[in-house]
Amino acid sequence: MDISAFIEKFIEAIDFAEPVEITPDTVIAELDNWDSLAQLGVIVMIDIEFSKTLTADDIVTCRTVQGLYNWAQG
Amino acid sequence: MARSVLKGVRIAGLSVCVPKTVIDNLEVPPEEQQSRDRLVRNIGIRYRRICEEGIIFSDLAEAATNDVLAGVGWDKSTVDAYIFVTQSPEYIIPSTSIVCQHRVGLPKTTLAFDINLGCSGYPYGLYTVGRMLGAHGLKRAVVVVGDQSASRGAKDSGREILFGDACSATALEFDETAPDIFFEGFSDGSGYKAIYVPDGGHRNPLTPYSLIPTECADGVIRKGIDVSLDGPAILNFSIEVAPAAVHSICEFSGVALDSVDRLIFHQANKMINDTIRRKLKRTPEQVPESLYDYGNTSSTSVPTTIVYRAREQFLTPGTKFILCGFGIGLSWATMLVETTPNTYCSTIFEV
Repeated sequence: MDISAFIEKFIEAIDFAEPVEITPDTVIAELDNWDSLAQLGVIVMIDIEFSKTLTADDIVTCRTVQGLYNWAQG
Repeated sequence: MARSVLKGVRIAGLSVCVPKTVIDNLEVPPEEQQSRDRLVRNIGIRYRRICEEGIIFSDLAEAATNDVLAGVGWDKSTVDAYIFVTQSPEYIIPSTSIVCQHRVGLPKTTLAFDINLGCSGYPYGLYTVGRMLGAHGLKRAVVVVGDQSASRGAKDSGREILFGDACSATALEFDETAPDIFFEGFSDGSGYKAIYVPDGGHRNPLTPYSLIPTECADGVIRKGIDVSLDGPAILNFSIEVAPAAVHSICEFSGVALDSVDRLIFHQANKMINDTIRRKLKRTPEQVPESLYDYGNTSSTSVPTTIVYRAREQFLTPGTKFILCGFGIGLSWATMLVETTPNTYCSTIFEV
């Protein structure tokens, strides 16, 4: 999966009510509507797509969408 | 390892009831509508039942017990054991099952006690009581399972929309001809803080501060006596252990997953339940749900789902079910059970 496909999956997972612009450099925790539901959506997406267990702390450590993508690939 | 086979135990009947009052999770002020729509869409819970106007969990327990006893046609004097699996006691002490033994009209020759388990509780209740039955043991028992955990007006929106109240009563009897029931149980106390009530026990006794809403580390406003939920931890736990436990009970029983007719999971939320189902490569038909209409009904979500969406299969002899509960503790358990002839099953009725 390339980064643009990953971003599509990410947007689908967070299911924000309003459309949102996401780039590889987007800092996840600083997204306007970032909340626990978005967190759960991303954890499920990572589990389904990459068979990896992502914790709330991992999301903080990864910081950006690119960071999360790299983590998932690692 | 907690692996066990119950021999000569039959599920004779099952009743499930709910309180009358319905909460529609989509009924919110207009400014909250958009975020609530998103929450309901993802969590998959639209309606919940709540005990109000003087109804409490024990009232549901009494109604479910009377219904199942009438359904299986047992005289009350023949019930040897009356066990509750609940975290919604009528009083902190004594056990609610004992209070209800008298109220329901069961004889003093009935043994009674409570088991303190939540979402994993249904297989544990059936196993514990099933173990007491036998040629040299007890003959008839009723297991009451459920909780009163619905809330209205809580500031924790994640918890607020989740829980619904419900209660089940299951009649178990000794029957030499019954097919084997397979059981496995697991615990992981390292995760106890994923779902817990911080105040009111001996570790953090109740103080006036326990009643004051405070912003917690995760940004959610709760009181010390409220249930604290760690969503990401619960999600990761559930989607890891539930599929593994299903594979494990299949291996133990020698029954292939493909020959299991219905898998009934604890109804946690749609994200968790959909992920478990996808991991096990099962169809929605094989894995019925009651989430949308009744919410997360704690320990009784498994029987609620059977009665609501698998009643026909439950009443068809020879149907293989896997029942899987998981959650607070952390605790989880599975049971593989085959239905038998002349079984009673209620529909969900209101109290």
